[in-house]
Amino acid sequence: MNASETIQQRARHQRLDADRLLTAACVGLPLLGLILFFAYPMIIVFLRSITVGDSYGIGNYVEVLGSSGFWRATRHSLVMGGATTLVSVFLGFIIAHGLYRCAFRGKWLIRAIIVLPLLAPSLVQALGLIFLLGRNGVISRALGVEIEIYGFWGLLIANTLYALPQAVMIIGAALVLLDARTYEAADVMGASPWRQFRDLTLPSARFGILNAGFVCFIITITDFGNAAVIGGDYSVLATEIYSQVVGQRNFNMGAVVGIMLLLPTVIAYAIERQAMKRQQAGQTTGQVPYRPVFAPPRDLCMAALSLLICACIVAVIGIVVYASFVTLWPYNMSLSIKHYDITLAGGYSSLWMTILISLGAAVGGTIAVFLLGLGLRRLPHVLAQPVQILAAMPAAVPGMVLGLAYILTFNSTSTPLYLLYGTAALIGIVNFYHYHTQGFLTVMTGFRQLPPALEEAAGSLGAGLGRTACDIVAPFIAPMLVSVFFFLFMRSMVTLSAVVFLTTPQLSVAAVTIMRLDDAGLTSQAAAFSTCVMAVVCGAVLSMKVILAMMQRRRAE
Amino acid sequence: MYLNVRDATKIYGTFTALDRVSIGIDKGEFVCLLGPSGCGKTTLLRLIAGLAELDGGEITLEDANLSQMPARKRGFGIVFQSYSLFPNMTVAENIGYGLKIRGVARTDIAARVAELLDLVKLPQVADKMPGQLSGGQQQRIALARAIAVDPRVLLLDEPLSALDAKVRAELRDEIRQVQRALGIPTLMVTHDQEEALALADKIICMNHGTVVQAGTPEDLYHRPATRFVAEFMGISNLLPPEDIAQLFPDLLPSRRESERAQLACLRPEQIDIASVADGAATIRSISFLGNLRRLQVDTTVGMLTVETHGANPCRVGDRVALTVAPDACTWVIDDTEPRKAVPA
Ligand SMILES: Nc1ncnc2c1ncn2[C@@H]1O[C@H](COP(=O)(O)OP(=O)(O)O)[C@@H](O)[C@H]1O
Ligand SMILES: [Mg+2]
Repeated sequence: MNASETIQQRARHQRLDADRLLTAACVGLPLLGLILFFAYPMIIVFLRSITVGDSYGIGNYVEVLGSSGFWRATRHSLVMGGATTLVSVFLGFIIAHGLYRCAFRGKWLIRAIIVLPLLAPSLVQALGLIFLLGRNGVISRALGVEIEIYGFWGLLIANTLYALPQAVMIIGAALVLLDARTYEAADVMGASPWRQFRDLTLPSARFGILNAGFVCFIITITDFGNAAVIGGDYSVLATEIYSQVVGQRNFNMGAVVGIMLLLPTVIAYAIERQAMKRQQAGQTTGQVPYRPVFAPPRDLCMAALSLLICACIVAVIGIVVYASFVTLWPYNMSLSIKHYDITLAGGYSSLWMTILISLGAAVGGTIAVFLLGLGLRRLPHVLAQPVQILAAMPAAVPGMVLGLAYILTFNSTSTPLYLLYGTAALIGIVNFYHYHTQGFLTVMTGFRQLPPALEEAAGSLGAGLGRTACDIVAPFIAPMLVSVFFFLFMRSMVTLSAVVFLTTPQLSVAAVTIMRLDDAGLTSQAAAFSTCVMAVVCGAVLSMKVILAMMQRRRAE
Repeated sequence: MYLNVRDATKIYGTFTALDRVSIGIDKGEFVCLLGPSGCGKTTLLRLIAGLAELDGGEITLEDANLSQMPARKRGFGIVFQSYSLFPNMTVAENIGYGLKIRGVARTDIAARVAELLDLVKLPQVADKMPGQLSGGQQQRIALARAIAVDPRVLLLDEPLSALDAKVRAELRDEIRQVQRALGIPTLMVTHDQEEALALADKIICMNHGTVVQAGTPEDLYHRPATRFVAEFMGISNLLPPEDIAQLFPDLLPSRRESERAQLACLRPEQIDIASVADGAATIRSISFLGNLRRLQVDTTVGMLTVETHGANPCRVGDRVALTVAPDACTWVIDDTEPRKAVPA
């Protein structure tokens, strides 16, 4: 071997190491983030829950388990979760069945309306219900009856509206899996439409329904916004944590309640993941999409029901927008824009700050999950699997618990992480890790669709990891990246539960401002602020649709 | 040898996918790796490409050890079975990608791309996206992309098996022409013996992660070393010595006693058939295959397959006499369990 060859060989080793290093960095940095901003705070919150004075013990648990308030909140959470799940899965199935198994016009309208609740902070449903059914609500006044909307029923309706989009999406995804050939075969064999529904549609949606049920349950018991605005005396675990921490400044007890809230969500999440796997296992390729033919009794009935449900959603959200323009609800119903002049300290600054934070969380988060997915592909299975499990865990943690964990971790001067406390960056970070799982799973779906041959071909042509990532991988999964970006942006815009503990008088976010306005009795201004947030999020949704459509057009070209 | 693989071993968990496999490719040679599905062909190709790591043995190119070299440094071209064109790039960008990585000037890339598109007979598609091309066209572009960088070795992993029969035959000839014209040492994986016979200078026949026999197409067809090769390389009549003693005693002397269990391999076209009123054999069935007829002939030791060319007056039920030239018989080692299924 001559000298030049030796040098070449050494260069090769270095390049090889460069790629290995890059892989390590791709996995290592996001992993470090997960450990620092998810695993570590969760450990802290657990430790705090067993901290009694200066030592550890189960004293806090004994105290909490012995208090009637806790048991009442737990009972309420479970009852509310169960009731909401039943109602929203039932209604969700009706809409999904209408959308994917019936033939009628105007489905786009239903599709558009059904996602509206996702575009607003959860407390907007509650605000809308108060404007409709509260003491001064349009319906109560028109009927001349006094409806007690604060409490169980109001919360049930608000939560149902909030969980419904998820139920429709999950059940719809399960329904489309059953392809046209199956129905054609049943037709040929002489099965009546009712039999087809009972023997084909329902069983195939079984896991979807189960899955949707668990998702709705988790959404409901972890939601804070609706409970805070319309729950009234109906205390649930999420509001219980809030009152322990913010009302009584009792962090350890808050941590205990947080851990108790974590238990049902973790269990529900674990079951849901199993149901999801079973559903995916049934998937086959080469499907022929089902095209329903118009069957008047069935379709008119389903269309009417779907429209009725959609009308409720539009009414609840629309009344908030309308109320924001009413001069003095309910006495002077003439229109004005005076409520858009926010009188609470800070005015609109929290809106701009939220947009900034959401952009940061979306950009940083998209890059992080992309790098993680890229690196995991190159890691041996034994190393990749634990990372994947960790990356899928944040979905099981209620926002309230994560927020509490953050305040316990970052408001302590014992580590340099204290520097982050009270900064916008920390709010962006908590938003990203709150929704980490959904973003990560979306990107992983994209990576699974990427044929290994593409990367191998690029490698054989001489491209290193960095080049392959930029030239081949990123363009291929670009639609997923765009989806993740907008998902993180939109969730960050409207989320309340995780950030409610992390805002300070100087630094607030939109959802918290809405809650404060409502608390201060400035309900119309809360409506105005909500309308602004919804406008921003709707703008984001439209941009996403346009971008994705353009990408699809380019690829199909 | 230009490229040498010595004792390559690959183990997945407890399963040995490749067991001390040694092969070589000479400059300008077209080598086919032939074997049934799952025998380790792709694994071997991926080891050579650097897409998988050796668990034993070594791979050298012109005496330089490749073991530590990552795929992107080897300068090999590879074409996969599935279309592996980059969907976000035009055809021209796909072909020019390797050159772009090597920092070649834009105008030079454009010229080279045009030249390669001519070579694969698709001069019009430069600005199309891969999704707009048919399967056969995509594989041509994949071939052009692989040879754009003047690869030191061209690796093809069943590049034709996803295509229709007609396109497959066309592209098969084109691959051969291009390879001859450029003289790139080529290793192609296939499970189709006809493809291997038509293309290869040398066929390496594999089974269960080992090389069973390597040689020219004629060698493998006419002088198979084992029962597996004989059966894999087309239709054959495999008869134990007792049966040969009954039917064709003249063939017995060519057998070497020393070797273990042996069978006589008689290709169907090497058996001559003649209608004789008192013949010992009877024709049971005739299939007309265009250029030839395949006859099933019942003999005292069982059915034999015989093929005849041209006009033939035989009918089902005719009594016939069979003869074989003494040098037409090859004795093969019986390396497989007796199989019931008749080769297709
Ligand atoms: N990454 C892998 N992990 C485990 N087993 C593998 C892997 N790749 C291939 N194998 C196994 O090795 C054997 C040979 O595979 P392959 O080389 O793809 O066969 P083929 O000759 O059909 O190309 C098969 O039995 C296959 O199941
Ligand atoms: Mg293969």
